Amino acid sequence: MSQSLRPYLTAVRYSLEAALTLSNFSSQEVERHNRPEVEVPNTSAELLLQPMHISRNENEQVLIEPSVNSVRMSLMVKQADEIEQILVHKFTRFLEQRAEAFYILRRVPIPGYSISFLITNKHTESMKTGKLVDFIIEFMEDVDKEISEIKLFLNARARFVAEAYLDEFVY
Amino acid sequence: MSYLNNPAVVMDNGTGLTKLGFAGNDSPSWVFPTAIATAAPSNTKKSSGVGAPSAVSNEASYFGNSTSATNFNGATGGLLSNNLSGKRGTEDLDFYIGNEALVASQGPSYSLSYPIRHGQVENWDHMERFWENSIFKYLRTEPEDHFFLLTEPPLNPPENREQVAEIFFESFNCAGLYIAVQAVLALAASWTSSKVTDRSLTGTVIDSGDGVTHVIPVAEGYVIGSAIKNIPIAGRDITLFIQSLLRERGEADTSLRTAEKIKQEYCYVCPDIVKEFNKFDRDPSKFAQFVVENQEKTRRKVVDIGYERFLAPEIFFNPEIASSDFLTPLPTVVDQTIQACPIDVRKGLYNNIVLSGGSTMFKDFGRRLQRDLKSIVNNRIAQSELLSGTKSTGVDVSVISHRKQRNAVWFGGSLLAQTAEFKGYCHTKKDYEEYGPEIVRNFSLFNMV
Amino acid sequence: MLHLQPQNLLIQKTLNEAIEALRKGSPLTMDRIVSDFDYTTYHISNTAEDKSILLLSVKTKAWVSVSECQLDGSLTLLKFLADHYSSLGGVTIPSEVEPGYDYTLQITLAELVQESILQLSVLKTIILSFPFELAISKFIELSQQQPAPVEAEITGGEVAANGDNTLFTIKYRDEENIFIKPSNDRVTIIFETIFQDETDKIFGKVFLQEFVDARKRNRQIQSAPQVLYSHEPPLELKRLYQPPKVAEQSRRFITFVLFPRHFQTKELQFHSICQLTLFRNYFHYHIKCSKAYMHSRMRFRVDSFIKVLNRAKVDEDDENDELSAEGRQQARRTFTGRKIVY
Repeated sequence: MSQSLRPYLTAVRYSLEAALTLSNFSSQEVERHNRPEVEVPNTSAELLLQPMHISRNENEQVLIEPSVNSVRMSLMVKQADEIEQILVHKFTRFLEQRAEAFYILRRVPIPGYSISFLITNKHTESMKTGKLVDFIIEFMEDVDKEISEIKLFLNARARFVAEAYLDEFVY
Repeated sequence: MSYLNNPAVVMDNGTGLTKLGFAGNDSPSWVFPTAIATAAPSNTKKSSGVGAPSAVSNEASYFGNSTSATNFNGATGGLLSNNLSGKRGTEDLDFYIGNEALVASQGPSYSLSYPIRHGQVENWDHMERFWENSIFKYLRTEPEDHFFLLTEPPLNPPENREQVAEIFFESFNCAGLYIAVQAVLALAASWTSSKVTDRSLTGTVIDSGDGVTHVIPVAEGYVIGSAIKNIPIAGRDITLFIQSLLRERGEADTSLRTAEKIKQEYCYVCPDIVKEFNKFDRDPSKFAQFVVENQEKTRRKVVDIGYERFLAPEIFFNPEIASSDFLTPLPTVVDQTIQACPIDVRKGLYNNIVLSGGSTMFKDFGRRLQRDLKSIVNNRIAQSELLSGTKSTGVDVSVISHRKQRNAVWFGGSLLAQTAEFKGYCHTKKDYEEYGPEIVRNFSLFNMV
Repeated sequence: MLHLQPQNLLIQKTLNEAIEALRKGSPLTMDRIVSDFDYTTYHISNTAEDKSILLLSVKTKAWVSVSECQLDGSLTLLKFLADHYSSLGGVTIPSEVEPGYDYTLQITLAELVQESILQLSVLKTIILSFPFELAISKFIELSQQQPAPVEAEITGGEVAANGDNTLFTIKYRDEENIFIKPSNDRVTIIFETIFQDETDKIFGKVFLQEFVDARKRNRQIQSAPQVLYSHEPPLELKRLYQPPKVAEQSRRFITFVLFPRHFQTKELQFHSICQLTLFRNYFHYHIKCSKAYMHSRMRFRVDSFIKVLNRAKVDEDDENDELSAEGRQQARRTFTGRKIVY
């Protein structure tokens, strides 16, 4: 793990842990509704807390938007070139397509980010907060790893395919 | 856009068999098991390039019948740079499908699996590669140039459709996709029968393959999901039943293959078993003989075929002769199915009972079913007339068998996909890119009147 | 499957079936469509009167452009095909072409031999090979006029000092063409290609770069043709071909430089041509395979992520048995109770 990744992940972990103090909260505007306050247009200062922005560099950033009953966490995955760009796009789309299995995954990311999670008080009630944070940290690590592995695979496969094709001309 | 002239590809991936072909043909081009043989994980092949770099490929070996999945062994093995032969290998290209898979799996280095269970895809990785090979090797089509018609079982969850779309649009870039429900296609296939006058999409489909038999009511092209009934009796049970009879008698050859051959060639449905037993006893010429030859045609075994000729298909109508846990005869199940449907469509459902699948191919299967069902319905009508004192207009029961029954689903797909309107009903790659996979949750129905 | 085969398996299978059925005395009524890559459709049919005679017709997008190719008028495509097929057992060339198709061969099933089936199954390749054959004979002509200078061996994209304007074009797809340019020391084959799909465009770039680099990197394939690729039409084409302006960004030109060693003998020549005609299909096939592989990887990832996430569930430690029962219940199920597999 590179030098700056560790503190970055640690910062994300602590900020998330701090943000994940959620409580059940009924909507103030709509009767008998209980909605994730961070997702609805809201100006009330008591409901929305200060968003946190953690940045490792311009390509890798995290935005944590806490509110009284929900936290939205958006992640920008490193995309160094157009191959990584398309791979990240494909990968996040693939995950979002299966968002139902992920409980906390948002089907659409916040503009400017690659992927977003939405954790509500329902989730923190049925899941251990620490483990949830573990999941997100692990996810952040694995996504980078996966993207670079796929990229390597692509290059290796291209090389193999090209060599196999040209080999047909060698007599 | 010249792809408009290309024939659409029709693929019917069933639990047992896959039917592949082009729209407009009267039969599928390929019918093979939905099986895939993948390189076993423990496989340590690739003895590094000892083989001389590929000798001049003479035409013979070039065209030779070996359609090897990947010929990395030997010649190419030596060529590869070292970093390739390792983990990031090409295992995902090393597989066979269909009959070749069955052959390959007999060797030590491949393991066989069936990606579809109970009509639904269980292993998407394998299914994706199965399609890949079907398209490029067997059908030789560039998916970008063709529209595809795929089939799905009734009650397939929409998520599965989305997965199919994801594979076909993202991996294969296919030009357009239509996913049709198998039962509806089977109904469309029955339009070729001379008995069918109005091309409606209302009817009851009895689809009996190898593993399970479904009775599926379809009203105006929509499957009535809540009324679908399954019968755990299908082709395989008949084969096993024949095999058990052969074993009881101690025939010379009691293999499953023999039983299957006997089922396909000699079995028929009789109107009445008691009479049929008598007929056999009076007329010994009814007994047949089946000759088993081994591969080299050196040894011959003669197997006598007796009452199983009519007894085996009889288990649809009298399940108690073969099974102890399922006892409802097929006609009763069909009746129950239709009775579970909304009352407005019941007449249409009785009127158009369509057979589909290999296990409905027995001679007189349709006629017997029609007779039995008719008597059930008539009894009920008589009773209600008696109770209410009014006169019923009667219900017309008709079972339709036709020549394309065996691959009815595929044939129905071929019929629909060759129409000029077909492409208008497909979702295209452009639609997919604009709306995402959820677009395939809805397909408009064909109105072919 | 690593390589695509030049022969069409389905033609082989259909013909073999027809022969088998004829031998058994129950000849099949044939009316079948068979497809091949790049807008090629075959039609195998017979008449009701004589089921032992089949017609194999082919329709391919490349036909028009290929039949326009000629060297000095002596050899036309029809003659070329006739030469190739008329010598085969069981194959004759009828005087009339089936309407709607480009070329028709008549097959007498009783006389058909396996070698003919093989040749029939590569009909499309044979058609496409015509301009290649022409180019090679032109090359021989040119090289005899003006023996190749030794130093011209590795001049890459530069045009050999030769004013000859012979260029064969195969328009085999809507916007993609193959150009074949013979010169006095080599035959240059240029594929013009565009990508419809955004992902393919980028994947294609990676693949093409490797095609270019492969020969430089791997000693064992040094003798393979040199491969170059560019956005602009290469110099060989500059004067002779003006690409349309549309979709300019994704247009690529891939150049294969064939030296005499690649077509020394007839067998080698045919083998090289087979490979070249399948180049685009091969290339796109492998892009699709890598996407399929990526999907597998991503499915695996999804599974492993879900496993990690499920560890967070509260009741994991308490009642193990109940959890598994409950966990199973929570997995989404279909109407029939089957689990949905992601």
